[in-house]
Amino acid sequence: MLEKIKEIEAKIEQDILNIKNSEDLENFRLKYLSRKGIISELYDSIKSISIEERPSIGKKINELKAYCQQVYAEKKKILEEFSEKKSEQIDLSLPGRRKWLGSLHPLTQTLKEIKLIFQRMGFDVADGPEIEEDYYNFEALNFPPEHPARDMQDTFFISDKVLLRTHTSPVQIRVMERTTPPVRVIIPGRVYRNEAISARSYCLFHQVEGLYVDTGVTFSELKGTLVSFAKQFFGSSLKYRFRPSFFPFTEPSAEMDITCFLCDGKGCRVCKQTGWLEILGCGMVDPNVYKYVGYDSEKYTGYAFGMGIERISMLRYGIDDIRILFDNDIRFLKQF
Amino acid sequence: MKISLNWLKNYVNFDVSPELLAEKLTNAGLEVESIEYLNKKYENFIIGKILKVDKHPNADKLTICKVDIGNKNINVVCGAPNVSENQFVVVGLPGAIVARNQHDIEAKPFTLKKTSIRGIESDGMICSEYELDLGEDKSGILVLENNGLKPGITLNEYLGLNDVVFEIGITPNRPDCLSHLGIAREISAIFHLKLKKPKLDLKESRELITFATKVFVDDLDKCPRYTARIIKDVEVKPSPKWLQNYLNAVGIRPINNIVDITNFVLMELGHPLHAFDYDKLKDNTIRVRVAKDGEHFITLDGKGRELKEGMLLICDAEKPVAIAGVMGGINSEITENTKNILLESAYFLPQSIRRTSKLLGLSTDASQRFERGADPNITKFAINRAAQLIQQVTNAKVLLGYIDIYPKPIQPKKINLDTDRVNSTLGTNLTYYPIKNLLKKIDIRLIKRNKSKMLFEIPTFRPDIEREIDLIEEIARLYGYDNIEIKMRSLIKFKEQPVYKDIDDEIRNYLVGRGFNEIITNSLMSKELAGLSKDDYVEILNPISRDMSAMRTSLIPSVLNVVRNNIYHQSKNLNLFEIGKVYFKDSSIAKGPNTIAGFREEKRLILAKTGISEYPHWSKQEFPSDIYDLKGEVEDLFVMFSLDKYKFISYTIDRTLTELTLYIMYQNVEFGYIGKVKKEILKLFDIEQNVFVADINLDILKSFVNYNRKYIPLPMYPMVIRDLAFIVDRAIPVEELLQTIKYSAGNLLKSVDLFDIYTGDRISADKKSCAFALQFQSEERTLTDEEVALIIDNIIKVMNDKHNATLRK
Ligand SMILES: [Zn+2]
Repeated sequence: MLEKIKEIEAKIEQDILNIKNSEDLENFRLKYLSRKGIISELYDSIKSISIEERPSIGKKINELKAYCQQVYAEKKKILEEFSEKKSEQIDLSLPGRRKWLGSLHPLTQTLKEIKLIFQRMGFDVADGPEIEEDYYNFEALNFPPEHPARDMQDTFFISDKVLLRTHTSPVQIRVMERTTPPVRVIIPGRVYRNEAISARSYCLFHQVEGLYVDTGVTFSELKGTLVSFAKQFFGSSLKYRFRPSFFPFTEPSAEMDITCFLCDGKGCRVCKQTGWLEILGCGMVDPNVYKYVGYDSEKYTGYAFGMGIERISMLRYGIDDIRILFDNDIRFLKQF
Repeated sequence: MKISLNWLKNYVNFDVSPELLAEKLTNAGLEVESIEYLNKKYENFIIGKILKVDKHPNADKLTICKVDIGNKNINVVCGAPNVSENQFVVVGLPGAIVARNQHDIEAKPFTLKKTSIRGIESDGMICSEYELDLGEDKSGILVLENNGLKPGITLNEYLGLNDVVFEIGITPNRPDCLSHLGIAREISAIFHLKLKKPKLDLKESRELITFATKVFVDDLDKCPRYTARIIKDVEVKPSPKWLQNYLNAVGIRPINNIVDITNFVLMELGHPLHAFDYDKLKDNTIRVRVAKDGEHFITLDGKGRELKEGMLLICDAEKPVAIAGVMGGINSEITENTKNILLESAYFLPQSIRRTSKLLGLSTDASQRFERGADPNITKFAINRAAQLIQQVTNAKVLLGYIDIYPKPIQPKKINLDTDRVNSTLGTNLTYYPIKNLLKKIDIRLIKRNKSKMLFEIPTFRPDIEREIDLIEEIARLYGYDNIEIKMRSLIKFKEQPVYKDIDDEIRNYLVGRGFNEIITNSLMSKELAGLSKDDYVEILNPISRDMSAMRTSLIPSVLNVVRNNIYHQSKNLNLFEIGKVYFKDSSIAKGPNTIAGFREEKRLILAKTGISEYPHWSKQEFPSDIYDLKGEVEDLFVMFSLDKYKFISYTIDRTLTELTLYIMYQNVEFGYIGKVKKEILKLFDIEQNVFVADINLDILKSFVNYNRKYIPLPMYPMVIRDLAFIVDRAIPVEELLQTIKYSAGNLLKSVDLFDIYTGDRISADKKSCAFALQFQSEERTLTDEEVALIIDNIIKVMNDKHNATLRK
């Protein structure tokens, strides 16, 4: 008899697992818990055993019945909950609750990265006014009055001696005036050129200027610094060249080109078929400039460099019209 | 400047591809901006001689021509009425691109193919000058003059188009490179070749120049040298083809042989010359003097010029005949009738020429060279070269001798150079020997040496080399920038200043996180917009256009412009910000380390919001943006910077651009405002939806920012929370109610927040119900209900006394 009870218990365990729906559940109840079910039959069969054994067997049957009722109730609850959820119909494919998405202007992003690279090399950040004196914008940078070099930069004038700065270089003078060497700064800022607005030029743009004056600064080190910058910014496999150029406030002066990354140096529209992209101008600070700020040109040497943030952004993002940077079309801004 | 490859080869013998030459020149600091192959246009066109003309068997108006094209004879079907035997004509062969199709309305170009015309094979096409784009005549084929022409030469050869032209950007410090000889000198240095200067072979007549003219130089400062020659019996006519070809290649239009030769010498040697009609010079005299104010003169271009005091003039015995170094006059111009000429080759002071050119707004090939600095010691060579060419081309008579007024000859500069200085500037290890050799390549010669100290003589065609550092640049250039090795010292320096915090960047990052898009706008705008804010705006003296003739005084017009453009593209919900400068005339500003007397620049932050307030979602109702959106942004921004004592104050007076304006105050300093842009301002930008802005002076905000955070221990005793709703007059600002609650509650009140406002049917129409959440807490003990009840009673009483507020049950 005990063995039979054990068998039934095992059977219940197995059957309960196979219940998938309310129909199965009802069959289970009919099979075990109904008046004609297996457990009722067990109670009926108790009469056929000895009186001594009856109390202990009866207890076992009671336990079996309680067990069976418990698993039945549990299963019933689970099935009910399941069907409730089904009726609620949560559609998880509906869009989530979002916020407006902000963005940094691409020029800011480019500048941030340039700043980060030079700050890691130990450059401080300085700035100065956009409305500038002729003295700082030209004269102290070794553009004498009546010098043809002034024609290189078409200037907006406010008055005879006041203008909108045409480069960030005047801040070099302002920084050197108030600092004794070593001086190591970068100077980001807005500059203006009186040029017709087109896809290639705008009436204003942004530059980052760099200046390092100390004892023993060489052209070799200038190259090293800028090559390091270019590799950090454009990628470590880049090829570069320095070629002579002319800026009144540096001597020797150079322009730095990198191989065009759009055509791999084979020549394309952007690099004007040369395979090279000009990215910045640089040079050793001209001793004449030191005269204006009272530095001893026998003791100190230094270098300066400058690059256009628009130009570098346009190359990097493949933008072919500078004006779109200042249109601020939200569809454009959200791409960055 | 345009430089012709063929022309260059007269002075230096090199054989490299145009591409390699361009790269080498660029690496030497002469940036080749483009290479133009002149022969591209007339590939596959050849000069042929018509041997025989036969009627076409199947067409009346067509002929079959047998044409000798040098290496063979071909058959060409031709429809021109003027075709006949023994003509020299231009034949387009298959593959040639005919520039203009004369049977096409748009005259589009087309490519020739071998075809059959009415059953007869045609090997090419005999072209008209219209088809070749050499003239406008369409009536028949182009027949070339037979002066020694041989069939078989290409049209390119015939037209002198077998040339390659380089566009070179010459920096202003290199006047010596504004000529073919100058570029050839650089090429000779680059490729270690010999430079061949043109050979002079001048035959003078017996007639002496001294009797033919007199030259007086009144201003020797502005005209240190004046050289003149006289050439008689010239025949003014078109130049020979070789001369025209050279000039055409470099973009100079041939005029007549005399003018062309002066231009040729200009482009060859870089020295400007001028030819006067000798017989138009009163008393055959030249006087170089400065102009008086108000003198009048008509230049060669036919324009009347008002002269200014101090401009240098070339005059005859009574009147100006040229503006020195800039442009000649119509009164002494070379014409077809000119018989005798006076040639001028002078050296003028660069500053004087530049000033004149600027004042007249007249820049010429000549003025550009003089103002950058010509070579004073080339005048004689240049004038002799021109005289020789004129003689060669016109069989003229060059008078014996020349006038040369040059009382104080300009000597070559001598410059000291220390090899140590070279190496300490460049980071190289050069010794005297390579330095000497490098400089010798460009005619800079070593005169003396004492150990590391060297003395060099600088030729006068290099006015840019004045100092040791200029020589160092030449050494670096000739040595090759790419050959200077990178040697880095460590750049690490240990600093003592606190870490630089860029507050602009912090604000940017914060606002991007809040869903704002950064914009960067033009700081130039029209005077009307700059003047809107009633501030004293900065005006541009020489603007590009009216709508960019002033500096902005507010970022609002800038941002409205962006709003307008975006609405135009259907982007109507915008959250924008910009950090930018505004500019004012301000007489209170003195000159300082970072200021210009009379001008003020302010850095400002603008936030702008328009359209719906929150990002739309299917579960939410959409609300339009309002002033509270931006008020909340500004408050949170201040919390981020630990600014807690700010106040918003609304005056009844609005700003010129905004209404509903709330001023932002901190420690009694007003440094910004929040507002709704006025309708009439929006109208200027055709904007029909509301735009809200917050405009904050960042320079002032920056001075308030406090980065010192201090820890405050967390409360140890529980908080008691009570809600109170008061019914008050609608007109009473909530801010006043909050102040009263705080004041009447005492210091156990930790915070009070408005959480609901109700107006409507359930209370009377002139009232509103304001519900507040109050939090009480003590740092010393757990508060009892009785304690809090007492405080609440007091609040209710004071609210009632002060605002006639009743508790809403
Ligand atoms: Zn490319």
